[in-house]
Amino acid sequence: MISSINPTVKAGAILVPGVLLGLMFDIFTPLVYLIFIILVTFAFTDISLKRWLLIFSPFVLFIVSFSWTRMLYTSESFQGGAILFEFWYFQVTTEALMVSISLALRSLCFIALSLLFILTTDSTKLMLSLMQQLKLPPKITYGVLAGYRFLPTFKHELEILRQAHRIRGVGRAKGIKGRLQQFKRYSIPLLANAIRKAERVANAMESKGFTGDRNRTHYHEMKVRRRDWVFFGSMVGALFLTVFMSYYFGYLNIFGREIN
Amino acid sequence: MKEMTQLKPLIEVDQFSFDYEQLNEPLVSEVSFNINKDETVLLMGSSGSGKSTISLCLNGLYPEAVEGVASGDIFFKGNNIKDFEKGELNQNVGIVFQDPESQFCMITVENELAFTLENIQTPREEIAPKIDQVLETIGMIDYKYHNIHELSGGQKQKVALASVLLLDPELIILDEPTANLDPVSSLVFVNLIKDLKLETQKSIFIIEHKADDWLTFTDRVLVLNKQGQLVADDSPKSLFTTNKTLIENEGLFIPKVYQKQMLQPQNEVKNETSEASMVINDLSFSRKKTLILNSINMTLNKGEMIAIVGENGAGKSTLLQLMAGILKPKKGNITFLGHSLQKWKEQKLRQHMGFVFQNPEHQFITDTTYDEVSFGMTLNGYSEDVIKERTEQLLQNFQLSAHKWSNPFALSGGQKRRLSVATMLDETPDLLLFDEPTFGQDAQTTDELMTIVKDLQAKGTTIVFVTHDMDLVDLYCDQVYVINDQQVAFEGHPHQLWKQDALLERARLRLPDRLRHGQEVGETYDLVY
Repeated sequence: MISSINPTVKAGAILVPGVLLGLMFDIFTPLVYLIFIILVTFAFTDISLKRWLLIFSPFVLFIVSFSWTRMLYTSESFQGGAILFEFWYFQVTTEALMVSISLALRSLCFIALSLLFILTTDSTKLMLSLMQQLKLPPKITYGVLAGYRFLPTFKHELEILRQAHRIRGVGRAKGIKGRLQQFKRYSIPLLANAIRKAERVANAMESKGFTGDRNRTHYHEMKVRRRDWVFFGSMVGALFLTVFMSYYFGYLNIFGREIN
Repeated sequence: MKEMTQLKPLIEVDQFSFDYEQLNEPLVSEVSFNINKDETVLLMGSSGSGKSTISLCLNGLYPEAVEGVASGDIFFKGNNIKDFEKGELNQNVGIVFQDPESQFCMITVENELAFTLENIQTPREEIAPKIDQVLETIGMIDYKYHNIHELSGGQKQKVALASVLLLDPELIILDEPTANLDPVSSLVFVNLIKDLKLETQKSIFIIEHKADDWLTFTDRVLVLNKQGQLVADDSPKSLFTTNKTLIENEGLFIPKVYQKQMLQPQNEVKNETSEASMVINDLSFSRKKTLILNSINMTLNKGEMIAIVGENGAGKSTLLQLMAGILKPKKGNITFLGHSLQKWKEQKLRQHMGFVFQNPEHQFITDTTYDEVSFGMTLNGYSEDVIKERTEQLLQNFQLSAHKWSNPFALSGGQKRRLSVATMLDETPDLLLFDEPTFGQDAQTTDELMTIVKDLQAKGTTIVFVTHDMDLVDLYCDQVYVINDQQVAFEGHPHQLWKQDALLERARLRLPDRLRHGQEVGETYDLVY
């Protein structure tokens, strides 16, 4: 199961293919790799199809519209090929179409990869692993973890503020100036409270003997085991295999240069 | 101090002063006292007197952490605390803080406790057994894997205590640990400390503005005045019997067992009923499929003071928000002054009804105290002269004239509370709702607030409190509603409520002090309901 893979190695297994994919300008490579990611997602995690689609689909919409504009405004170097259709001021050529489809597929790959990471990684374990594997200073590690705890309280407090201000009749303020004023009214108490709380937490942490010293024991030891490397190898290996296949079939296009 | 003289005190504070900026008028001024081994010492002082600051100085965090300035010395077992390595003193002096929400950095109970043990470099294989052991001690072994933010306030404070116990300190400092807890939870916490004290013989330093619950095992009481000077260091008995005026002058609560004359309720049962101000009919409310309130019926009469009580999470605050029209009911309706709440125009409704939130800061929307008070009147379109006159008047009545041009956030706790009420009074409202108005306030602030409220009540305003403070209910309220199991479990005069033992226990309520009177110091109180 991917949720038990060491978070740092997992991050690497997501980042490396992600960056490399950014260079592939053809359609075949990202398409095959996207299918691979989706297969991995459903074969090796507990994420339900419904939940995944719920998060994934809004991005699809965004990416389609984004790629559409990209197709209409392709740069000079990608405007070769036959003209597919023309309307108004726009000319859409085959190459422009290819480039924008490729862009869309690459973006979907990034999103599928990110989801694979986000939905299978526990935030505490990620931070602990960054501290133990990448030697992130404990000050930052535990600072981030403490901050993470505040997110729900923040939301709750904003809710109360809204209500309190509504009682005072602030909802009646209108216009851009009014909105700006409103933003200021929310941010000062929120900030004041956040600073106060942060100071309290810092005091509490230091009172529990925390000094920020790297010399500490670890209750949850985050180990890098063989299977973590197997996972890393498979994710990166799969990409190379895809690239090789696309080279073999003559689709490969790295950074706008067709490689045959 | 007879046989103690040979032994070095655990903590010795010598002519210690502290301030965040400079020592001309320091926050803590030339304080000297000792804490001996096995002793329980209680430090009292009104809000803003620098009590909490002292606790952070004792474990060496201050003045360094805030770049404050200090003079004088603090010794731990005869060694100056300045000579300790960073983190070393913290292991000997553990603190449980006031705010249950902001003293943890991990998500689960297990990881939070592990964090403490990792800090003091406990070998990994010893961590798990130690966690289990301390959770047994505080009776929370079943919550090992729970998320901290899902626990109740009382449970959070127990987890905070557990972290401190893991350090195995020689001195435990409790900085108003029960200020944010409901009455029963706070009693549970006090009893836990007491058992612990009997078992482990650790020294305990308690910071509180209300001493009552701690008295049974307190050896000595220190009093800090508003100027940050130590004005008393005495046994509880001698302090509270011979030096009462001193305590009262500082705006602190005299423990009820030492009060000769208890305040007597002024809220006699009235026979004639006045006109209804608000009628709630068959009201239900749910949040994400969980039913919070089920078929609530209430009638709030003009000029009455009404309390809504019940345990934490019973839906009291939700009910108040429904009354204010800031939440929409799922079923049923609320009538205010003869019209359905939904039919009211927002602006008109806010003129006739006020709502005072638990945290006054949430209600502040302008940069000065003056603007804060005049804000509502400006919105209502009053003329300049009327606004000026009325604002000045209100500031005068609420003793805020001197701070007219201060930023509301810079006021003291009591001033903020007064201002938050003043902002609701641009017109005398027909209904004024309060969410936990006396939570964590000292005696003086509470008294000031009640004077204002009684005055409004006399003018015909209906007052509604959501509160845990049974003394408040007992002394002032005409009508009390107990919310339990999503329903109104009791409605009637407070004096009738105190007779319902079974209900009080079910709703986790405590009897008011007046009725628990007669207990002597040293007598253990059980969980008295």
